Amino acid sequence: MAVAPVRSGLVALAQGFVLVGTLSACVQAIPPELVSAIDRIDQQLVALKAPEVAPEEYARFVRQWVPLRARVQSDDDLVRWPWEANELEAELRRLHEEGGSTLAKLHSERQTQQHRAQQNVLRVEERLRALSLQVDAIDGRIVLGGKPVQSDLLVKQARSFYDQHDYQRAIEAADLAGKALRVQSALLARELGRYADEQHIRSWQAMAQQTIDWSRTHRSTAIVVSKAERVLTLYKNGNKVVSYPVRLGFNGIREKQFQGDGATPEGRYRITDKRGAGRTQFYRALVLDYPNQDDRRRFVQGKKMGRIPLAKQIGGQIEIHGVENELMAQTLGCVMLDNAQMSALFERVEQGSVVSIVGALTGRNAVATALAQLGAHGEET
Amino acid sequence: MNMTINRLAPLMLGAVLLAGCAKPPAEQIDAAEKALKEAQMSGAAIYTAQEYAKLEASVTAMKKEVTDQDGKFALFRDYGKAEQLAVSAKADSELVKADAVKKKEEAKAGALQAQQVAQEAVKSAVELVASAPVGKDRAALEAIKNDVEALKASLNQIQLAIDKEDYPAAQAQSKAIHDKGQAVSAELQNALAKVGKGKPSAPKKK
Repeated sequence: MAVAPVRSGLVALAQGFVLVGTLSACVQAIPPELVSAIDRIDQQLVALKAPEVAPEEYARFVRQWVPLRARVQSDDDLVRWPWEANELEAELRRLHEEGGSTLAKLHSERQTQQHRAQQNVLRVEERLRALSLQVDAIDGRIVLGGKPVQSDLLVKQARSFYDQHDYQRAIEAADLAGKALRVQSALLARELGRYADEQHIRSWQAMAQQTIDWSRTHRSTAIVVSKAERVLTLYKNGNKVVSYPVRLGFNGIREKQFQGDGATPEGRYRITDKRGAGRTQFYRALVLDYPNQDDRRRFVQGKKMGRIPLAKQIGGQIEIHGVENELMAQTLGCVMLDNAQMSALFERVEQGSVVSIVGALTGRNAVATALAQLGAHGEET
Repeated sequence: MNMTINRLAPLMLGAVLLAGCAKPPAEQIDAAEKALKEAQMSGAAIYTAQEYAKLEASVTAMKKEVTDQDGKFALFRDYGKAEQLAVSAKADSELVKADAVKKKEEAKAGALQAQQVAQEAVKSAVELVASAPVGKDRAALEAIKNDVEALKASLNQIQLAIDKEDYPAAQAQSKAIHDKGQAVSAELQNALAKVGKGKPSAPKKK
């Protein structure tokens, strides 16, 4: 008897559940993982410095993300009827896809840029190291003036930017350093190119041969100094007796032009005086007749041509001498030997002997070789 | 009934007219745009690039909202959201500007400190050169003197970068000069130690 009302009550309840179920199907939140994923893309774009390195791409992304996030936060778009399209979710998915592509593209570009920066920085560091070694080996540092410091600073800046992950600036600084290093190599080639010039080599060879011939003809001692190899060779009666390593002026690789330039003169000289113990501060000294007539002519010509400043003097007191300080690597323009070797030389040579100081005696001299290596290295940079 | 309609009609007409008069919040929009410009002028695009990009996006969204409302039939226009966005963009711009100013000042302070450290390193090298002998032993120091002169000249580059407010470049240059200055000083001390072994002598012609 009481079954009918109960049944009808159950039916009503069931209908209520169905209604509630239908209504709850209308409420559909935006998947939170989708929002989180876009947020992660944003963070990754920021980590890749997208706002700085790709401002347009990042601006395009945030122009969409900022209003969409605002819509997600306001509840307006979160409820829809099942038959309604969820435009917000669709837009978020499109942004997720687009942001992902931007991220992948930037990541790839960043890696490429990092690789390029790394290669360029390493290349200029290696080039600087090689150049410094070659320049030191041929005592060419003075020739370059302040340029080595300028390139060194650029290389250091490139490394600094690279370490700060500023790859674009690292590349720019490395490019500038590469240019500065090429300028240095070109300057060295211009200033010291005569060491690789066949005509110069032939002329120096002829001068050395005349000195040897003079030694033979006059049954006397003679000396040939090769600046490139930094070697002094003693001849007697036209025969080679001994060779010694020498140290030159601090700018000795250049041809002497005026007093104080630190260069060692090139030419044919005579020993005008032998200064023994007590007459020189450099152990023993063989005084040369620098400046000779050729030197004076070149000096006057140099002033006329503007190569030598008018106020400069020609200088003098060029000697072959021993050392006062064993630790000194260079002179002010003289030719310096260790004292034991200077002693032996001093005993053997005579006053009036000819001394020829030449740039180099072969085309494959140390300076020419260094210039060739720098040239090859420069092309790689 | 007619009386009621007659009474309500003017009110309804008034409401319709009022709604039809809805206008964009020009003052707030101007203020937001001005605040954005000020943030940009303060260096926000460089020092708070991420926040600035988002700020630009907010202003763009605000403008779009205004345009959307402009496109609607006059009776249905509602600039409430646009006004809310404008107020919010202005407030955010001010925060971003303050943050950018702070970060820029920090960068400047860092650059000035690095500049000072570099100047001190170069000064030490200059003083060492000044203490070097002028006689024959100067040969050992000639090349190093060139380096010191080049370092002195390079200090100007730091100042130029600071003047251009390029503080990262000023920092990188300062670090490079400092490191090189220290290396040159070490080389000078080494050379001076060698020179010290010899006896002082009068300058000679060469």
